Formats: sequence, C-alpha cells, structure tokens
Amino acid sequence: MFKIFSPSNIYSLIQKLIKFINSIFFLILAIGLTFALVLSPPDYLQGDSVRIMYVHVPSAWIGLACFSAITFLSVLNFIFKIKNFYFINKSIAPIGLLFTCLAIVTGSLWGQPTWGTWWAWDARLTSMLALMFFYIFYILTFKLLNEEELIIKISSVVAIVGSINLPIIKYSVEWWTTLHQPASIKITGSSSIHAQMMTPLMVMLVVFLLYAALIFLMKYKTEIIRIKKKNIKRN
Amino acid sequence: MISNFVTMNGYGLYVWLSFSIVFISCAVVYFKTKKTLKKYEQEFLAELRTLTLEEKNKALGSSKVAQQILATSFKTN
Repeated sequence: MFKIFSPSNIYSLIQKLIKFINSIFFLILAIGLTFALVLSPPDYLQGDSVRIMYVHVPSAWIGLACFSAITFLSVLNFIFKIKNFYFINKSIAPIGLLFTCLAIVTGSLWGQPTWGTWWAWDARLTSMLALMFFYIFYILTFKLLNEEELIIKISSVVAIVGSINLPIIKYSVEWWTTLHQPASIKITGSSSIHAQMMTPLMVMLVVFLLYAALIFLMKYKTEIIRIKKKNIKRN
Repeated sequence: MISNFVTMNGYGLYVWLSFSIVFISCAVVYFKTKKTLKKYEQEFLAELRTLTLEEKNKALGSSKVAQQILATSFKTN
C-alpha cells in the first residue's frame, strides 16, 4: 500500500520537482515582492509597518503546518511502522524551526512600532516560543541519540506532546486577552482583510511554500543518499 | 517617491529589517542544504569507487537510486 513512498520511487520525482521549483521560483518571488513592497496599500492604522505581515504570517503558517505534518506522520509511523516517514519528518523539522524562528523575529519587529514593545509574555507569543522549543527538542533527538529505534520513539513522543500546543497557538487569541490581534483570515467564515492585502499575502505564501518544498526535497534527497551509502556494501 | 519607498513613512527600519532577515536566513539555509547534498553525493561516489567491478555492478544493478545518483553526478560535473 505504501510502496509508492519508497525512496527508489520518489528519487526521480524529487529531481524533476527541484528543477521545476528552481525554474519558477524567482519569477513568483519577484511578483510577490512587487505586490508586498510596492503595490499593496499601507494600513489605515499601522501604516507601512503592515508590510511585515507579508513575511510574518506565511512564516507562522508554515511553522505550524510543518509541526502538524510531523505529528501526523509520527502517529502513522507508530501505527504502520513505515520508516520512510521518519526520514520525511527529519527533513521537515529544520524547515519548521526556521519558519517558526522567522515568525517570532518578524513578529517582534512588527510589535515594536505597533504595540510599542519587542516582546510580551502574551498567550500567542509564548505558545509560538513553546513551539520553537518543541522543534529544538525534536531536532536534538536526531543529533544526540544514535540508536534509530530509540530516536523514532522519543521524537514521536516529542511530536505528539508538542501537538497539544498547536490548538493553543490557534485559539490563544480567542481564549485569552492578548496583545496579538485575532485571526483576520478564516477558512470558514468571512475574512476581515481587504483583497488588496490578501493578494500579496497569498503570493508570498506561495513563494514561502515553494521555498519550503525545495529545502524539503533537497534534505530528503540527502537522506536517501545517506541510506544508500550506508547500504552500498551490504548489496 | 523613492525616498518614501525607502523610508516607508518612518517604518523603513522595521520593514526592511524584517524582509532582510527572512531572505538572508532563507539563503543561508538554502546554500547550507545544497552544500550538504553535494557532500553526500561526492561521498557516495567515493564509496562506489572503492568497490571492485563486480561489487559495483551488483550495487548499481540492485539500486535504481544508485544509478540515478551516478547519472546526476555525471550531468553536474
């Protein structure tokens, strides 16, 4: 059933995908930056500082999405014992950590001109910081432990425990009184963001997703080569 | 107009710093990942070179991935 996920089947697809992303990435990046820095209007309250949203929001979304994917694959790995999911998770984690750190740093840079402070121990900011630590613990299991079975067990526990933090991040702005504004974009229900700001945000999200996919493919390709190198003499 | 674009009506420092941090971090991660990938490809090829002809044929015959790594390295070198 899961043979489609085997490294041999995926390797040639990875090559094609990397080439494809490389061919369109800079064009979409140029469009995204033009929209974000030139064409989109300043906010009536926040002025031009609102442009930070175009890098802050996609970073936060990808940071959350990566941890959700890691948790989902860890649970599947527990049930079906598919080792390949472990390699996929190992490739996703650094991307999630990068984007979570970027969301925290750009959020801080956005907070100073709008809230008058770089940091506050507010529910949303603190839960994002907790996510960053979960990513660090998760990556440390790969770096510090040697036995693969033990790494899979401990990293899965970290992912599953860390997943409790995901709904806290999402609903923190509704459950508690926070400095952070409530969500402007909703999957169900109407969003309170104007189309002139929504378009650059979506283009920048595509740019970040393409970048994340590119790094994931390169890291996953490295993992495949590492496994093949280990097994080469056993064949 | 250009000066407005640079200063972002007083928010230039925050906006440009945010975008710069994001793009520099992403570039650093990209080049580091690419370097690691190249290193592993080279190590794999070096390992392949240490094998005897018979072992090499066996390794390449049984692994599609090994063939593809070899093919890619020939294209890029």
